[in-house]
Amino acid sequence: MAYSVPRTVVEEFYKAYATRDADKIAPFIHDDVEWTISGPVDFLPFCGVHRGKADVLDMIEHKVKAVLRNISFEPESIVIDGDQVAMLSRQAAKRSKDGCTVRYRVANIMRFRDGKVIENFSLLDSFDAVEQVIGQQLTAGTHGAIGDFVAV
Amino acid sequence: MGKPVPRSVVEGFYRALAASDFRALDLSLAEDVTWTISGPVDILPFCGKRSGKAVVLKLLDRDIPAFLDKRRLVPSVMLVDGDRAAVFGRLTASRGDIGRKISYRIAQFVRFENEQAVEYVSIIDSFDAVEQVLGQQLTATAGARATGGELVAV
Repeated sequence: MAYSVPRTVVEEFYKAYATRDADKIAPFIHDDVEWTISGPVDFLPFCGVHRGKADVLDMIEHKVKAVLRNISFEPESIVIDGDQVAMLSRQAAKRSKDGCTVRYRVANIMRFRDGKVIENFSLLDSFDAVEQVIGQQLTAGTHGAIGDFVAV
Repeated sequence: MGKPVPRSVVEGFYRALAASDFRALDLSLAEDVTWTISGPVDILPFCGKRSGKAVVLKLLDRDIPAFLDKRRLVPSVMLVDGDRAAVFGRLTASRGDIGRKISYRIAQFVRFENEQAVEYVSIIDSFDAVEQVLGQQLTATAGARATGGELVAV
């Protein structure tokens, strides 16, 4: 029978995740986790694919905090179905460089195995997040057209 | 949490969306539905928050197709839990005026009441979507956006 993550485990995980304390989050992260955050790495260096527990905890403990501090989130919707969880939340944080507040929405799609996160995909309103994090307006650049491409 | 929505109702709702079946959508949407798509409204005019079934149907029937043609949602995950559903996938389309193909990730959260969608929120990888729509890389310039997305810095 397929694994179903108990709601209590999900709630405990998010309680730990909200602290942004790697020691509290660690028990909920699978050794073989793959953690992806969508967004432009040039502007948001914590974006991209992080593989393995150590890399994910390092991202949470160091890469995110280099850009954003005092992160809080308010869950708006938590959907649990079998081993998968989707959460919509509003996140707020202080920019590490100057303490200005940024707010944006994030969707997390997660898969649990044995009470631990084995896969996460974070999707954020990345245009809004980047403008707030850099404190500047984004406009079409002078690097030339990027052509008729399809994102992968 | 309200009355649970059957998975078959959620699947029917998404079938209607995918097929642009507005007769079915008319039955699937609550009169007071709210429909929110994250992203910069001044660049992606279909973003923002709409309220009311008539306004949402107009968005789906006219406003979005005027900007994005041949839309197709390719879901990779559909979750149903109580009165809520979440779908994660990739949306592909062509920009209507110049035919440029675009493709971006999307997460949709829908709350149902009496088997009708009453609240829809979608998060899109808006940076990626904007670059593809504009056909150019984004760079930072001084100043703050006058009319940003739904959420702004405070």
